[in-house]
Amino acid sequence: MAANHAPTAVALSAIQSQTVRAAQAGDVEAREILARSCHRAAFHFALHLTGHRDDALELSQDAMLRFFGSLGRFDASRPVRPWLLRIVRNLARDRARRMRIRRVEPLDADDGGPIVQPVDLSPNPEQTAHRAQIQRRLWAAVLGLKPRHREVIALRDYLDLSYDEISEILHIPRGTVMSRLHRARSALRKHLHGALGKEVGA
Amino acid sequence: MSTNCPTSFDQTLLSGYLDHELTQSDDQRVRLHLEDCDRCRRVFLDIEIMRETAMSTRFDGPADDQWDESPKGGLSLATRGLGWTMVVIWLAAVTAFGLWHAATGPESLIEKLLIFGGLTGCVLLFVSVLIDRIRSSRTDRYREVKK
Repeated sequence: MAANHAPTAVALSAIQSQTVRAAQAGDVEAREILARSCHRAAFHFALHLTGHRDDALELSQDAMLRFFGSLGRFDASRPVRPWLLRIVRNLARDRARRMRIRRVEPLDADDGGPIVQPVDLSPNPEQTAHRAQIQRRLWAAVLGLKPRHREVIALRDYLDLSYDEISEILHIPRGTVMSRLHRARSALRKHLHGALGKEVGA
Repeated sequence: MSTNCPTSFDQTLLSGYLDHELTQSDDQRVRLHLEDCDRCRRVFLDIEIMRETAMSTRFDGPADDQWDESPKGGLSLATRGLGWTMVVIWLAAVTAFGLWHAATGPESLIEKLLIFGGLTGCVLLFVSVLIDRIRSSRTDRYREVKK
């Protein structure tokens, strides 16, 4: 089993537990810290589930309100992110059911969609531009996946959660996380195969 | 190197291998298999690139001031609770006074009906909202989100 994030994760977890306990005791500053540390993850997950920036902002804000509304009942020794992301997922499913949205349309930035920005890993502008293009194609392909594949890709490949955390959020066994993730990746690979070949050569 | 992948090999393990989520024995099995199987190695390289691409993607998120709902602190919750208590007491007092006034005060039947009808409507609406809130809090699926 992987033990690639042991000491740092434990230290961070202890700090987060303290922050959660302080927030539960009514410490306003702790609540602000907790909100700042979580709302981006909530927004990014919502963005993957809805495919639209404004919807994602609305959904993640709603999730944060529910998160803080039930913070008093939360076990501070547990990690916060899976709990919050599970709220986001439940809200997204409720919303999709209510609005009968069965798929999302990838939108351009001009239409209110998300703007995908490349991380400048290379001093070579050509490579950076190429990487940005691949990132946009990958993002568009992710939005074209079935919702259950999209969410598992978002949690693992974009938000970097462990299989145990994903299992907790999606409420599925760990083995199912791996098989679902592989099916999702295979679907993406099929969609992007030509582009990935160029990336290898880049 | 072989280009034939044995049918017994579960390609799902490639994702677990990439994510360092396999047991030691499975990890070793996949590593040895990848040394010998071109087809699986190509799949592995592709999903590795996809993961790296996803991990290096940054999205244009909302600015901090766009989060228009700040978390509710202890003071906020306390003042809200106090506010609701005062509203309930006020409504009960006004209703009692109005009903007493409607019963004893005005001579006209129309005046009595206006006071009685208006107050009864307000109380019914309030009770209806209260029942909905109680019911939704009992059946709130997020209440049991992993504690």
